[in-house]
Formats: sequence, C-alpha cells, structure tokens
Amino acid sequence: MIQFSKVSKWYGEYQALVDVSAEVGRGEVVVVCGPSGSGKSTLIRTVNRLEAIQAGEITVDGSSVHQATLNLNRFRSRVGFVFQQFNLFPHLSALDNICLAPMKAAGKSRRDAKQQALALLDRVGLASKANSYPQQLSGGQQQRVAIARALAMEPPVMLFDEPTSALDPEMVGEVLSVMKSLARDGMTMMCVTHEMGFAREVSDSVWFMDRGAILEVADPQTFFRSPEHPRAQAFLSDLRH
Amino acid sequence: MLDIFTYNAHFLLLGQYPNGPIGGLALTLILALLGLAFAVPLSLLLALCRVSPYRVLSVPSTVLVYIVRGVPLVMLVFWSYFLVPELIGHLVSAFTTLVVTLVIYQAAYLSEIVRAGIESLPKGQTESARSLGMSYGSTMRHVVFPQALYNMLPSILSQCISTVKDTSIGYVISVQELTFSAQQINASLLTKPFQVFLILALVYFAVCYTLTRCVQGVEQRISRRRATGKMSNVRSIINDSVLQS
Repeated sequence: MIQFSKVSKWYGEYQALVDVSAEVGRGEVVVVCGPSGSGKSTLIRTVNRLEAIQAGEITVDGSSVHQATLNLNRFRSRVGFVFQQFNLFPHLSALDNICLAPMKAAGKSRRDAKQQALALLDRVGLASKANSYPQQLSGGQQQRVAIARALAMEPPVMLFDEPTSALDPEMVGEVLSVMKSLARDGMTMMCVTHEMGFAREVSDSVWFMDRGAILEVADPQTFFRSPEHPRAQAFLSDLRH
Repeated sequence: MLDIFTYNAHFLLLGQYPNGPIGGLALTLILALLGLAFAVPLSLLLALCRVSPYRVLSVPSTVLVYIVRGVPLVMLVFWSYFLVPELIGHLVSAFTTLVVTLVIYQAAYLSEIVRAGIESLPKGQTESARSLGMSYGSTMRHVVFPQALYNMLPSILSQCISTVKDTSIGYVISVQELTFSAQQINASLLTKPFQVFLILALVYFAVCYTLTRCVQGVEQRISRRRATGKMSNVRSIINDSVLQS
C-alpha cells in the first residue's frame, strides 16, 4: 500500500532521511519508533507530501507521491493524517471540523456531511460533543475529533504522527483505543509513536529508525524480545528504565 | 466660539447641500465609507498576494505596500492628482482622485494587518486543512481568513477609523470635505483661526472617539468569547488574570 524506495531527504547539509526502503502492506499496521530526532516524523510527513524528498520514490496505492503531475488534493484526501498537536480548527465546532473537508473538497451536501460526521463522532465516542468547540474539549477528545475528521474523507490509509505525545497520561488510553478499533477494522495504518504497548498489541510490524535510516524491521514479538541492532537494544532498554 | 459653530453648523456638517454640492462632515464620512468599501476587499487580495508562494504575485504586492508605506499620503494625493490625468489623457475629478488614493493607501496598511493575522496562525492549521485534501484557496477561505480576520478585527477597525482623519488630505486638492469647509469658514471670518480650527478638531474628535468606543465594545466581546473558550488561538493579554494580578 505504501512503498518507500531509496528515499533520501536533506535539510541543507543535514541528511534527515537516509536511503529509506520499506513497505506497508494493505491492511497492515506499522509502528515506527526510535529516539527523538531519528527522522520518524519526517518520514511519515513525506507520505502525504507535507515534506518534499530529494531522492527515491514513495508510492501510495500505486500513485507516485512526489511526482509533479500528481493531483495532490485528491491524493491527500485518500490519506488520513493525524497530528501530534491535533490541529483542529478552533473557529469551528467539532461537527463542522469534520464536515468542512467533505463539503469543500469532496463536494458533499451539508446534510450528507453532517450525517456522516455524527456517525463518526459516535464511533470515536463523542456523539454528545458535536456542538462543542475545540477549546471546550480535553486533549484526548480533541485528538479523537481529529481522527474522526481524517476518517471523514474515507481514506484507505491513515497516518498517525505521534498522536498521543501531546496528551496528559490519563488521556492516552482513549485515543489508543480508537486507533485499536480502527486497526481491528482492517485499516492500513502507519503510526509514529512511543506507545510500545500499542505496538506490541496491535502492530503487524515495527520499524526502528535512528539518524534518518530504518535500522530494523521486525514483527513486534521479535522486536521487543530480541532486537537485533545494538541501537534498537539500547533504545528499548532506555524505554524500560 | 459656540456662535461660530451654530452659525456655520450647516456648512460644516453638510456643506452647501441641498442648495449645492454636499460637503463638510457628510462628505468626509462618504469619502471614508467609500474608501473603505473598496479598500477592505482590496486589502484581502493584497494580503493573499503577499503570502502567495508565487513570486509574480508576492513581489509586486510587496513593492506596492512598501512604496505606499514609505511615502506620505499627501505625496500620493499629488501624484494621482497630477500624474493620472497625464497618463490617461483626461481630467479626473478631485473627488475620484481622493477616493482612489485613499483606497490604495488604506488597502496597503490594512493588508499588512491581515498578513500579520495570517502569519500568526499556527502552521498546523494549514497543514491539517491541506492534508484533508482541501485546496489552497479553500484552505485560505474557510480556515485561514476566518481566524486571521477575527483575531485582527480590533486592529482592522482602528485602521478603518483613521480613514476618517485621512480624508482631511482632500483639502490640498480642494475636495470640499470637513477640513476644507473649516478653512473656508476661517477665510471668511479672517480673525478667528483658533476658534475655527478648535471646532474642526472637536468635530473630528467626536466622530473618531465614538467609533473608537464602538471598536472597544467589539474588542471586549472578542475577549469575552475567548475567555469562555469559544475561539482562541492567539491568546489576548487583555483580561489576563495572571498578567493583571
């Protein structure tokens, strides 16, 4: 579903992504982990072209993402993206946050968009918050609205860029449980996260990144029991302490 | 002084209307309103050009804004008054000249406020809109502008108020607005410049003070709404309990 082949990215002299090649299969849940500054977020942001790449190719569902001829808006509507900082639109209610893109980018009628948004809010457990504004919601609730907003475009792929890192600890669970239910429903997911419990429980594959390169790809059992790369071992032992 | 005002009140407020052309304060307000009616939409366009990724749009708009900001208003008026007829080959009325100049002048200043409003929004706002598949235009219209304009409303409104004062520049090209009327009264009285121009100042003050109070009302409404959490992005330091404690 998502293929990286020899992807490299530079910020001036600094190489942020080094020759990354990997694949996320259809219906797979991949967790990308690694120390901060390892290029995880940069990598996930290249998938829907929030970041440009200088070498290599990324394809999503057959379309080459960084090709100039790509219909970027249509492509992006097929790839859901959830941000660390939620990025809800503060001037719109939860319902309107979800309705906006289906109406303005997909041309849905207000009635259809609203009906769908209410169903999505129900799915993330926030049916009663339809008319609340982002500022009236807790971090966990905001992130769940953000997930519902991304789902409203009915994307076959969802990308999560540290979705729980900005949350108070007691709110992490509610967001993870929404993500778990998505995974159970067969959504193709790529998640940058530090939630190793989530990785262990839900993911099909764990990618360990450091200094812009993927150093290890393994199924979660293998990765957490016996990581091969010394830096992965060091990373996991740091996490346990 | 009061007798000077009462005797000339009609002329000062309405000019020769209804027996002649409208002037005085009425014309001042007409000029300001007309100017703003065109300047506000133009300023949105200018601000869009300024933040545009396309250099063909951003460079000319930036040049225009810098020129307008770097030149006194009276110079701009002279330019359009003397230069425009040369360029287009026929005369333009002083009234039109003044309106056009005010539009350009105010649009440049307003566009800077709007641009600041746009640029102060967190990057995540446009990123999330674009990542949902919304176009650049749609993102600007439905995500960026509503927030930027709302956040900047007090600044935009006070810039609008200053338009009322800026119309006084019409005096130099004999547009019969408030200042011109006062000057005419002064010329006919000959010996009372202090009183006449004090009256003039008071009239401007009364108008601008009233409008400023209205803006403060709007400002308070905005910070009240922010305090109740309906909308906040740029946190205002007004009504900040920590700051004021």
